[in-house]
Amino acid sequence: MMALVSLMWRKDDEFRAFVKRVTMSDFFKIIMISAVGSNAFFTALWTSYEIRYRLFRLLELSEFFFVSICTSELAMKIYVDSTGYWKDGYNILDVVIFIIMFLPYIFRKLLGKQFIYLHIADGIQSLRILKLISYSRGIRTMITAVGQTVYTVASVLLLLFLLMYIFGVLGFCLFGSPDTGDYDNWGNLAVAFFTLFSLATVDGWTDLQKQLDNRSFALSRAFTIVFILLAAFIFLNMFVGVMIMHTEDSIKKFERELMLERKMTIMEEKQVILQRQQEEVSRLMHMQKNADCKSFSELVENFKKTLRHTDPMVLDDFGTSLPFIDIYFSTLDYQDMTIHKLQELYYEIAHVLGLMLEDLPQKKPQSLEEVDEK
Amino acid sequence: MATYHQEGQMQLPRADAIRSRLIDTFSLIEHLQGLSQAVPRHTVRELLDPSRQKKLMWEDQQQLVRFSVKPQHTGQISQAQRLLSKLHIRCSQRPPLSLWAGWVLECPLFTNFIIFLIILNTIVLMVEIELLESTNTKLWPLKLTLEVAAWFILFIFILEIILMWLSSFSRFWKSAWNVFDFVVTMLSLLPEVVLLAGVTGQPVWLQFLRICRVLRSLKLFARFRQIRVIILALVRALKSMTFLLMLLLIFFYIFAVAGVYFFAEYTRSPRQDLEYHMFFSDLLNSLVTVFILFTLDHWYALLQDVWKVSEVSRIFSSIYVILWLLLGSIIFRNIIVAMMVTNFQNIRKELNEEMAHREVQVKADMFKRQIIQRRKNVSHEALKSTHGKTDDSSRGAIQQKESSDLSEVSEVESVYEATEADVVTSASKPEETLSEKKEYQSSSSVFSTSSSSTSSSESRFSESVGHLDWETLVHENLPGLMEMDQDDRVWPRDSLFRYFELLEKLQYNLEERKKLQEFAVQALMNLEDK
Repeated sequence: MMALVSLMWRKDDEFRAFVKRVTMSDFFKIIMISAVGSNAFFTALWTSYEIRYRLFRLLELSEFFFVSICTSELAMKIYVDSTGYWKDGYNILDVVIFIIMFLPYIFRKLLGKQFIYLHIADGIQSLRILKLISYSRGIRTMITAVGQTVYTVASVLLLLFLLMYIFGVLGFCLFGSPDTGDYDNWGNLAVAFFTLFSLATVDGWTDLQKQLDNRSFALSRAFTIVFILLAAFIFLNMFVGVMIMHTEDSIKKFERELMLERKMTIMEEKQVILQRQQEEVSRLMHMQKNADCKSFSELVENFKKTLRHTDPMVLDDFGTSLPFIDIYFSTLDYQDMTIHKLQELYYEIAHVLGLMLEDLPQKKPQSLEEVDEK
Repeated sequence: MATYHQEGQMQLPRADAIRSRLIDTFSLIEHLQGLSQAVPRHTVRELLDPSRQKKLMWEDQQQLVRFSVKPQHTGQISQAQRLLSKLHIRCSQRPPLSLWAGWVLECPLFTNFIIFLIILNTIVLMVEIELLESTNTKLWPLKLTLEVAAWFILFIFILEIILMWLSSFSRFWKSAWNVFDFVVTMLSLLPEVVLLAGVTGQPVWLQFLRICRVLRSLKLFARFRQIRVIILALVRALKSMTFLLMLLLIFFYIFAVAGVYFFAEYTRSPRQDLEYHMFFSDLLNSLVTVFILFTLDHWYALLQDVWKVSEVSRIFSSIYVILWLLLGSIIFRNIIVAMMVTNFQNIRKELNEEMAHREVQVKADMFKRQIIQRRKNVSHEALKSTHGKTDDSSRGAIQQKESSDLSEVSEVESVYEATEADVVTSASKPEETLSEKKEYQSSSSVFSTSSSSTSSSESRFSESVGHLDWETLVHENLPGLMEMDQDDRVWPRDSLFRYFELLEKLQYNLEERKKLQEFAVQALMNLEDK
């Protein structure tokens, strides 16, 4: 059975390569982009009842086309590479959108037209436009850059949630009793969370505070102000700081990688050219009619004779300029000095070791004598 | 490749690079192939020097000339300079009108006059608006003068635009500031023209007229350099954030469309006490509501209003609102802030580069003088040390470190050809030219690779107190030195050949000395073991 399957796959190789070429081609991408774009436009039109009434057939037809294009694209991509397909995040997004596309239809068939969550399933269709992201390289790079901040963002959010939890339980205990307290806003944990989130985003918090004041709670002002300071001023601005750090880091890393890549390619090119030049010269030496051209200098003897002292040669690169020669000679002079000093040190060491060697044989008979005495 | 080096000689990348430089400079390959005709024997100096030029012209005129092009920091080249270098302008009898127009536009008197006019325009407008409703007949001459002044100013602005067109029509449209000027002027011209043409003065047109006159004050932005810099920085920051804004628009769309569907029950509810009833009724309203939520305004009141309708599922509506708040107004807004901050930092860095470049040049100049002085000092010291013993105790133990001296020298050589590009004025060999150019660059690359491979067991030379380390000094000043505008160096040909040969031999000798040193160290170590 496995042998049959493997045999079938092997025969399919050419077709698979063809399908792969089709999915990678530009034409296919253009079709997909236009399909998604037009479908997004029509979804927007679909929201208005009047337009839906007038252009019903057109909209239904476009919907049908879009679903068929999506399904065939999914099928083709899975056919080309079933295991590697699931590794790319954008393909998983495609699958999720595919499932979402079929949800209203499934719900209508299975659970009847009066299913209360039907319009929610309809609303989710707006997510289809996310398919466009995979075709735009700019947005992709930006998402990868931003995506690296996800961990930090998640941890900051978690901290915020923890803070809200603490203050929520506190608020519930303080203000949430059904008769003497503000039941509407602090009655259960969920409502308390909403109230606290409203405080954190400092929107309409004075109304909430007024309600607490009406019931004359002692600590309410302190509670609210402390929470606003912590959540709104500190936490939510920490977000900004963390993001700035990460954006700078990712931009710098990106630029560094770019520079490195460019340098590597340039170096490789240069190496190749240098090789070629050397081969050229050695080939010339082989080709020489005279048999005694064993070295490069002999090769250019004749050329050297043609050089005259009065012929000027104008060069303005750094290597033949006077500052370079000055620097080089200074450096060489320093090198000479240090080597000279090193050599003096070597002489000293050798001298001292020689002295030590002379001392050694005298010490040996002394130790032997001591052993004998013992 | 066996015959490229001598028998038994080690392979040094640096020496190879020097030799390849030699080959390139003298075009040896062409000579050895017998194609001496195709090698340039003359330089640009011979063409520019009148006496030599004459001698050259007497000889065979089919000679090749070697050009070397080096990028120079000459600064801005103005339009007038460009025009003056064109042949047909130099040869014409009268200077063209565009030159005069350009001169007028650059003249500081004219620019200050325009600025004065813009400010005057603003004042005139202010006074006119105040006097608009007044029916005091005594003020009638004042009104007349104000009107005349406004028309006069408009006329001068149009004249300025015509002057700019005269100076260079195509360049006018390339600069965004000029296009802005043009649009603003035309916009303020339009209602006046329409008014004159006889369309009866509906109050709408008059108001439009007033507004467009105000727009003329915006022309001030283009005149001052500081405002230009700020606006340019803003535009660049926005440009780099285009993808972010596109993503944000996509999310706006998603949440708007979803909102219409999610809150369909809320919109259709017959209750009368809903404040935000029409907020999700159709796509446009939904878009506005999503924007309202993005600015975090009255979101809780909206949510509580939605909860009043019992058919709406509380879970989904609260998920929708909370998700959008987190994603849009908290995360996205902070991403935008972060990107703007980083962009502004980068832009500030770039604007400072020009100044930094000049500083580096000044430092390099000082360094050049220092080198010459130091060489004199060092040669004196070297003479002294060879004749007497010096006190080595201060030098400490032998430090077998990599020689950074050699590496920095190789760095210096690595930009041998970085600033030169030869253009051989011979049409018959375009590929060879390209290969020559690449060969220059290749030798430089070899130098840089050799810097890592060469190492010697020389200790660092620590300077006397008060001076920087020699190599750090060279490292710092090297780039500036390399970019400095050098005068052309004129070498006699055979000296240049000898120089390259000797340099190559020097590399081999240095390598040999290093090997001998290592042998000595080895011998010393073996002595210790016994």
